[in-house]
Amino acid sequence: MELSLAEAVQPETTARPMNWESPEFGAIYEEHSQAIFYLALRMLGNPAQAEDAAHDVFLKAFRAMKEFRGESNLRTWLYRITINHCRNLAQTWHQRNIFSNADESVWETSTHSESPLRVLEIKELGERIQKTLDGLPEEYRLLLLLVADEKLSYEEIGVLTEQTADAVRGKLHRARKAFQQQFPKTA
Amino acid sequence: MKQNSKLRHQEEQQATQQQHSEQKTDAKEFSSVDEMLRHDASQTAVPPNVADKLNRSIASEPQPASWLKRLVNNLKVK
Repeated sequence: MELSLAEAVQPETTARPMNWESPEFGAIYEEHSQAIFYLALRMLGNPAQAEDAAHDVFLKAFRAMKEFRGESNLRTWLYRITINHCRNLAQTWHQRNIFSNADESVWETSTHSESPLRVLEIKELGERIQKTLDGLPEEYRLLLLLVADEKLSYEEIGVLTEQTADAVRGKLHRARKAFQQQFPKTA
Repeated sequence: MKQNSKLRHQEEQQATQQQHSEQKTDAKEFSSVDEMLRHDASQTAVPPNVADKLNRSIASEPQPASWLKRLVNNLKVK
């Protein structure tokens, strides 16, 4: 029996394993691929690498799907695979480790007011966002990207980043400030 | 000669104004970082190569599934 799209994308409520032949995986790909690709793109900062990463993440998910029993949200599960995969890639390529041990207090001394973020050329937005994110500590970058996904709760972000929801809230405040401080410098 | 120069000046002014108005059309203001990132995410499409490559990878897996083939075919039709 084939499931409807709505049923297919809510395995956490159906809480049953899926198998290799499952038509549900197609719906899962359609539902989550954009979010997964975006996270990989902004974590890695390279479209070609993000493309490979998205492929690898879904292949890993496909192989492990039969073990997924719906204890967690499916998107959270896919994000976890993506984060681990991108971190491994970044370590392998020795990328983005300049700021990984940066003193967080550096980002807390912003003298900028929290003015609206304005961009003149919308087509340059992605490039400027990438430059800004690249200049932030990895933890801030990840928190900002995850909270931008409205489907994730603070609790789920906390699970993904191994901290409490309150810690997520606190760090997000500093991460947003750091982003607002950095963004104008990319113009 | 003087008239030609004046005309050229007017044309240049018009071109500059047009450029400014085009920039204004492109300009966008975000009230928060979250809003900006959401907008960026919504504008980022997954390259079709991903589904295509995934289809090939899954085809070489021990138990290939047919769902992705259908998806890729649907994407090609679109």
